[in-house]
Amino acid sequence: MEEGENQQEEIKGEGIWKKRFSLKEFYDKNYKKLLIIPFLMLVLAVLQIAVQTAVTGDFINKGVSLKGGLTISIDKAVSVVELENYLNNEFPSGDISVRALSSAGSQIGVIIEAADVEAENLLEVLQNKIGKLEKDEYSVEVMGSSLGASFFKETFRAVIIAFLFMGAVVFLYFRTPIPSLAVILAALSDIVVTLAVVNLIGMKISTAGIAAFLMLIGYSVDTDILLSTKVLKRKTGTILDGILNALRTGLTMSTTTLIAIFIALIFAQSLILKQIMVILLIGLLVDLPNTWIQNAGILRWHLERKKKDYIKNE
Amino acid sequence: MSKTKKILTHWRVILALIFIVLSLVAIYPNPFTKGVTIRAVVTNSSASIAGITSPKPTATPMSRERITAMNNVPINTLEDYYDFISTLKGNRTVHVKTNKNLYRLVTKPETEDIGLSVYEAPKTNIRKGLDLQGGTRVLLQPEENLKQDEMDILLTNMQYRLNVYGLSDVVVREAGDLSGNQYVLVEIAGAKEEEVKELLSQQGKFEATIGNETVFRGGQDITYVCRSADCSGIDPTTGCGKSGDMWVCRFRFAISLSPEAAEMQAELTKDLPVLTENEEEYLSEKLILYLDDAQVDELFIGADLKGRAVTDIQISGSGAGAMQQEAVFNALENMKRMQTILITGSLPVKLDIVKTDTISPIFGKEFVRNALFIGLLAVLAVIIVIFIRYRNIKVAAPMLFTIFTELVVLLGTAAFIGWNLDLAAIAGIIIVIGTGVDHQIVIADEILKGETGAAYDWKQKIKRAFFIIFAAYITTVVAMLPLWFAGAGLLKGFAITTIIGVSIGALITRPAYAVIVELLMKE
Repeated sequence: MEEGENQQEEIKGEGIWKKRFSLKEFYDKNYKKLLIIPFLMLVLAVLQIAVQTAVTGDFINKGVSLKGGLTISIDKAVSVVELENYLNNEFPSGDISVRALSSAGSQIGVIIEAADVEAENLLEVLQNKIGKLEKDEYSVEVMGSSLGASFFKETFRAVIIAFLFMGAVVFLYFRTPIPSLAVILAALSDIVVTLAVVNLIGMKISTAGIAAFLMLIGYSVDTDILLSTKVLKRKTGTILDGILNALRTGLTMSTTTLIAIFIALIFAQSLILKQIMVILLIGLLVDLPNTWIQNAGILRWHLERKKKDYIKNE
Repeated sequence: MSKTKKILTHWRVILALIFIVLSLVAIYPNPFTKGVTIRAVVTNSSASIAGITSPKPTATPMSRERITAMNNVPINTLEDYYDFISTLKGNRTVHVKTNKNLYRLVTKPETEDIGLSVYEAPKTNIRKGLDLQGGTRVLLQPEENLKQDEMDILLTNMQYRLNVYGLSDVVVREAGDLSGNQYVLVEIAGAKEEEVKELLSQQGKFEATIGNETVFRGGQDITYVCRSADCSGIDPTTGCGKSGDMWVCRFRFAISLSPEAAEMQAELTKDLPVLTENEEEYLSEKLILYLDDAQVDELFIGADLKGRAVTDIQISGSGAGAMQQEAVFNALENMKRMQTILITGSLPVKLDIVKTDTISPIFGKEFVRNALFIGLLAVLAVIIVIFIRYRNIKVAAPMLFTIFTELVVLLGTAAFIGWNLDLAAIAGIIIVIGTGVDHQIVIADEILKGETGAAYDWKQKIKRAFFIIFAAYITTVVAMLPLWFAGAGLLKGFAITTIIGVSIGALITRPAYAVIVELLMKE
């Protein structure tokens, strides 16, 4: 194990400056060793989530829309730090956070999130600080804590059911256990690793964030299905040809999606949309090793062993 | 030439074109629409007396009545409308020209407002959800579980009660979740939060007692409440009068009780002593009205009702003010409130407000502009990447066409089924367009690969591409299904938009793309 890792580092260091086909050769020779990368990611992610759960009691950072509280969006550019300090002074028990609402780098408003404060009180105190707000200049969202909790439970359940449904479809579609399991494992890894990364950057998940995780199931399975189909249904060429063929298509897919996500991230004003985009961005990046190293590696390992068994039995 | 003809006559392409045309008909875009569209008409207002009616909630946005001029002053924008309204005075005649009719209104003596709630005329049939147009959304949870028929009564009552208040652009919908919780979702476009909250917090148990004994409960025991001019309004016999410095006006209206409630009333009043006050005879106990177990009003019981099971009862009360106009206004307000309590105040259960959203219309407008901008930019960037990757206009151009087709057909479907587009739906559109591009890349790669290969069979290639696309399609649909039913329907719009969108893509537009690229690349 130790040795293998060192060797891998060495080759990687040399390979980067070589021609493209050497990367292919490297991938071809070391695909089993490369499997360490996605599995290490998965193990670390599970650890992160376990620690997070042990420390905070929840496996994600719930935003106010999942734990109850209120969100006020204001169409005015105000100093975020100053406002946050002021509001926390006024409501010491309020757990108030203020964030800037910005588009293409410039601030266009603020979002205030608070728990255990009445919307009317907060608005009143707020207007003392930043001046009178007209009815049209702000939005208020109040989530009851019981609904927040039940909504979280519900959507979490929806994600689990969605995942099971997806797994069943994959099984029915390919009708071979190991390739199907590889697809499902890749999708699971995507979600778990993305969740851990989202936790690490300290993002608070809102209702829309859960929707993003569901979108991620769809997106990540797409590339896995592409890979499995191209490898299992190929008429000519080696397994590696099938993988590389799928890789070409898959990378084009990921590139277009990532570019669209980048644009949305830069220009989106809505925090909800931004959160969805951040989660998808992380998810799609995580999907690359999970599809092309983990899923491809397991698939190839399985097919080559099957071939060997087949030849032996002959 | 023959290639174009071949493409245009292929049934897959024809099908896609038919859907585009149908969608455009459903969306019915008209960028030149001017004026303000009527959202709601307040009951008994001068507008409603002149014959203007509230649109049905199911009416498509473009079919709603639109005001184009008032007193021959053209009304093009909301500002025009409010500018005109601010010049109005009491007892004046106003000619309101709409796209359907010409109305002659007479403003009421006591108020300048003509009782219309309007909004900027929509330019398409696409319904914007609350997130995009501003308004108030309240999610309520009944304190106890309701049977389906009870829930139906609750929903109709709430809808009715909100309409009585002159709010007609109201969605009252049942929502549930996977754990079997029940919710009621109320969405009111353009309404202020206080109005809605006050209204909804008044909902609940209604009962009337005499000497702590229940006489009747609202809804089941009150069979009729008169709200027409002939049996409700300012009392013609007593009218208004001065009492000290204040003006006091009396109102009256008729209601009908069920025979059981009438019997109960007779039973409870038969032994009560009669008191005389201001030359009028009353019973010693009053009829006390409770809403949500809190006393909301009390009524004197006329001595002639003592011990009699009368089903037709007249209810009277009063309103006061410094001026006569104010007193009339207050009296009528009190009457309206009492009527509403008696009609629908009798919802079978108490409701808890579990979530409220008030969305500023400015945010919504900004959001739509922002989303369109991002969408266009993203599509442009994607097409550039595709062009760089394939260096072939025959791949990129049909893809642009497919992206717009999917968008148009999706919006057309939403307009057709009357689905409101909100933030969640926009997230759905993103996933549809995103997977759409992915699937077209799969198709393009399969088709192009054959060009260099020795043996290629078009049918085989398309079949393989669609094997992948259908697997991806079905997994997306099944992944979205649970969300349709989960979590009080808060993400239902996302699930529905995604499912409809990817279905359109997998069944109509992406096959058409395959045909177009295939025919373009052949030979």
